Amino acid sequence: MTAKELVNKIFFVEILKGMALTLSRMFSHAVTIQYPTERRPIAPGFRGQHALAKNPEGKAKCVGCGLCATICPSQCIQVIREQGKVARYEVDVLRCIFCGFCVEACPYGAVVLTENFEYSNYSKEAFYLTKDKLLSNWDKYMAGKKGEDYFKKFWHPMSDDLGTPQGQAVFRGRK
Amino acid sequence: MNIDPKTVDILIKFGINLLIILIQIVIVLGIALLHVAYATYFERKVIGHMQVRLGPMRVGPHGLLQPIADGVKLFFKEDILPAKADKAVFYLAPVIFMAASMINLSVIPYTASFVIAKINVGLLFILAMAGMGVYGIFISGWASNSKYAFIGGLRSSAQVISYEIAMGLSLAGVMIMAGSVNLSEIVKAQANSVFGIFAIPQIIGFVVFTIAAVAETNRTPFDLPEAESELVAGYFTEYSGFRFALFFLGEYIAMLIMSSIAAVCYLGGWTIPWYILKVLPFLSYVPGIFWFLMKVYAFIFFYYWIRATVPRYRYDQLMAIGWKILIPVALANLLLTGLAKLLL
Repeated sequence: MTAKELVNKIFFVEILKGMALTLSRMFSHAVTIQYPTERRPIAPGFRGQHALAKNPEGKAKCVGCGLCATICPSQCIQVIREQGKVARYEVDVLRCIFCGFCVEACPYGAVVLTENFEYSNYSKEAFYLTKDKLLSNWDKYMAGKKGEDYFKKFWHPMSDDLGTPQGQAVFRGRK
Repeated sequence: MNIDPKTVDILIKFGINLLIILIQIVIVLGIALLHVAYATYFERKVIGHMQVRLGPMRVGPHGLLQPIADGVKLFFKEDILPAKADKAVFYLAPVIFMAASMINLSVIPYTASFVIAKINVGLLFILAMAGMGVYGIFISGWASNSKYAFIGGLRSSAQVISYEIAMGLSLAGVMIMAGSVNLSEIVKAQANSVFGIFAIPQIIGFVVFTIAAVAETNRTPFDLPEAESELVAGYFTEYSGFRFALFFLGEYIAMLIMSSIAAVCYLGGWTIPWYILKVLPFLSYVPGIFWFLMKVYAFIFFYYWIRATVPRYRYDQLMAIGWKILIPVALANLLLTGLAKLLL
């Protein structure tokens, strides 16, 4: 044991350093967020509860192609077509892992994840979203300018630019 | 029957004295219980802020009613007796533990005139009662018929007994300097001494006492008897409801007692050093109880500060610190103090 180590031990230098740190932290600002009264700002592109997009006429954009249901890793989307129309579009939220693949897969930008994350409930039925609930979610969370911006910025619908990227080797017509 | 007027006089005086003592007891007990309630709040707030949290915030403004909510919750909880526990002893243990720590409140001099029992063996009485508290801890661990409680009880009794020696030896330095074990006399001796407080000439003893006091009350970093990660809650694992609250009360009152001893024996009790009074003479108008409480709460804050900073020691480290470092250091301090007293 060197002299310095001995001095450190006798005068509790390490412990005093630690105590100085905790004392300085005592006067710093707490990081706690008092949840119901105070909320954390939602991160851009937050993946929350699902919604089915509506076109300007107020009809569902979904055509029922079933790509979202196909790509869904947890297989929680069910699309049933009857007579050329979407009869049922249902999401089992309790099984969803919020990967966002359905949104990426949709060629029409018809399904979207909203910023809503506060939908806890006591019944299982409340987490089984039918087409009506999904459409009303669009009105609740994605209506107006904010929803539109959010939609365009983070869930850029593929239908906006269907086509091959510039770098792709592909026949682009005769020169 | 003819009663001698002298006897009546004595009886009346006795009655008045008894009444005064009873009133003092009620005041001290009321304040001590309220202190325990808000000491938990103070602790949670201090540790919370040190860990960059907020502590209790929900019940009342800034969580000020949290201790009351906790008390009500504990009071209405179910009282559970383990199936194979020794019933009588199981029920007796928390009472012994709490009584042994609460009885010390009677000998602490809060101000020059406010002491419930002005006895000449105050310091020895407190040391003896600290030894009594071990019975509560140990038989609670034994009577619970649970391995966690049993190991907790064993650890606690071994620890408290080991650190009691170091604490007693460090306090012996104070006894030598004051020439008395009456707590009021110790404070007066400090007020008349050169340094004003014994913490300066007895700095080694004070450090030993501080460490031993933390270990003696089973607080972090010496909280092995109730190490949550190993023993659930240690010796009071099997207690619930109000019996648990009794242990809780006992522990916090023991902390108050230790802080009071530190204030009385090392920090000058209700007095402040004469050189401070010389510089700031108006401070003599401040009542003594203010200085006493300030010192006590500073020491309690120190307890919390340590708890927020230092992780728990290993059991062999704990014993090594107690036996190989604190006791020899306290003995050396005793020797130095004795020599100084002889030569100066």
